Amino acid sequence: MINLLAQVPTYNFWRVPPLSGELWLKIGVTLLLCCGIVAFLMNAPTRVRRPVVWFFTFIAGAFYVALWIWPQPVSREPNTLPRDGIEGIGFLLNDIQPRVADVSNILTTILLGLGIYSLLRIHLSKIVKRQADSPFSIVLIVSMLAITLVGYMDWYMREFSVAGKEGKLQEMVNWTPINFAQNLLFDGFLQQMDSAMFSMIAFFILSAAYRAFRIRSVEATVLMASALILMISLLGGIVFAWNHGVANMAAGMHIPLANPEINEAGYLNNLKITSAAGWLRNTLQVPALRAVDFGIGLGALAMGLRLWLGLEKGGVTV
Amino acid sequence: MSDTKPTFLERMQNLDRRILYAILVVFTTVPLFIKTDLPVEPDAYTKALYYRLMTIPQDKTVFLQSDWTVSTRGENAGHMEALLRILMSRKIKFVVYSVGDAQAPGVYREVIRNINLERKEAGLTEYKTWDDYVDLAYFPNAEGTLNAIAFDVRKAFASRRVKDPNTGSDRPAFESPVLSKVQTVGDAGLYMIVTASSTVDRAVERLNERTNLAVMCTGVIGPSALPWYQAGQIKGVAIGLKGVYDMEYMMKYGLNHPDPNKNGRIEVPWAGKEDKSAEPVTEGKTFARGSLYYLSFHFAILLLIIAVILGNVGMFLGRKAERAS
Repeated sequence: MINLLAQVPTYNFWRVPPLSGELWLKIGVTLLLCCGIVAFLMNAPTRVRRPVVWFFTFIAGAFYVALWIWPQPVSREPNTLPRDGIEGIGFLLNDIQPRVADVSNILTTILLGLGIYSLLRIHLSKIVKRQADSPFSIVLIVSMLAITLVGYMDWYMREFSVAGKEGKLQEMVNWTPINFAQNLLFDGFLQQMDSAMFSMIAFFILSAAYRAFRIRSVEATVLMASALILMISLLGGIVFAWNHGVANMAAGMHIPLANPEINEAGYLNNLKITSAAGWLRNTLQVPALRAVDFGIGLGALAMGLRLWLGLEKGGVTV
Repeated sequence: MSDTKPTFLERMQNLDRRILYAILVVFTTVPLFIKTDLPVEPDAYTKALYYRLMTIPQDKTVFLQSDWTVSTRGENAGHMEALLRILMSRKIKFVVYSVGDAQAPGVYREVIRNINLERKEAGLTEYKTWDDYVDLAYFPNAEGTLNAIAFDVRKAFASRRVKDPNTGSDRPAFESPVLSKVQTVGDAGLYMIVTASSTVDRAVERLNERTNLAVMCTGVIGPSALPWYQAGQIKGVAIGLKGVYDMEYMMKYGLNHPDPNKNGRIEVPWAGKEDKSAEPVTEGKTFARGSLYYLSFHFAILLLIIAVILGNVGMFLGRKAERAS
């Protein structure tokens, strides 16, 4: 018999209906509780704070270590029951994993709030004390508040107003001043300034290339030759013309670029920019990067172990 | 004190940087007004990406992890636009989200909106949220989220609700036609990552054994993605602006595809993979942002090369003068 109620969500202590009063109450109580814990930890002496921070660090790390080393269920169906204790723990870790990911997402979001708090504290204190450059702090605070306020108002209109629900606000002709303000602040100012900041790098690169990229040694000569080949290989038009020149030269000399009789490419292929750049990438660049990645991986593993076990002096032991 | 006037070459060694900057501005902005379709030889890894995209079964959903913001718009917007044009022309559904940056959803939504407007103006059907694509917004913790996607994608996205325009209410994302058939991340037609950061490394670490990954990334991130491609852990890569133009070029001419307008000549051959071919994109734009920026890019790189050569000529002249004195 088909269970027609299978899709109906079941509510319990941990799962309550969206937008219900109970949900808001629980969010409020949790927020207050978390603020209390943070305030306690911030004011607690180091000898109290250290074991608390280490305990949570260890528990968080232990979960992912267990998830990594414990045998995982293969081809598990929704109603499958574990056959023994080992499989039971595997099932448990598997089931908990998405919830741990949710918690980690929430914790990372709290960092955003922490950043806003820190920004406001520093710049409001600068403004109150009328320190040097405090006008810049005023601009920063006003900009932040404006884009936050207008952003929320725009979101509210798109989600909850009649025009928003009917999808009319997708069209610019139906926009209200709030939607235009959001467009001006986010698309008009923030995005363009962000792009402009990044494009300034081009000026510094050009200036550095002119003044600093000098052939002073054999190593620098090799580096510059490689860089020039790789830079030219990005210029599709030039590469295309050069490679066709090589092909025409080969045709003029009656040398096939790919000789099926001896099953290898003609030596003139090596004159192609794509061949030279490909050789540099595949034979020199990629292996070097792989070696660097191995080094970084080993370093991260060592650092991770030290943090997890509370051995890192700059980490949880402070 | 010497009265001899400096030679032209000597003057070139001590150029004021403001002159250099002015030359750069002229060299990069003027070509933006010249529309050219330069012939190119796309990179092998970009050909692999195009082939993958053009051979995704139409009933499969593409997972699109978009981790870029406007600071890299010059490269990533072109990637995203080319990707969306291919998916929309092939009527392939996609789910889009970000694990890289809180600004990313605002940016990719704008690209989707613009491509939809472009399609509307061309008389093509628009892509609709819920029916054709699902937007899951931002997941702040890349490691945890990608791990959860790898283990159980239905649980990883379980809390995300999407507005169903047919009913006007928010419903779980997995009830949408886009995700209803997806049980694991392995059911994805392709897992695409458009990024300007190292989230590609995180995705490879967590997902490469579970699904087929492919990457579109900036020129800065490109070299670090190539070891993954060489190892077969990602199936195709488009790097930087060259990657954008390569994609657009293949969208126009196909891959190993005989062009009927050129007496059946194959415009983009794929050496060693003659048995594999992909059609050009048959509806909507092909040449767009990549074509618009590529000539500027040529001029900027050539200017960089000239600057390096001039700087070194100056150094040698200076040394020669020192030895002579």
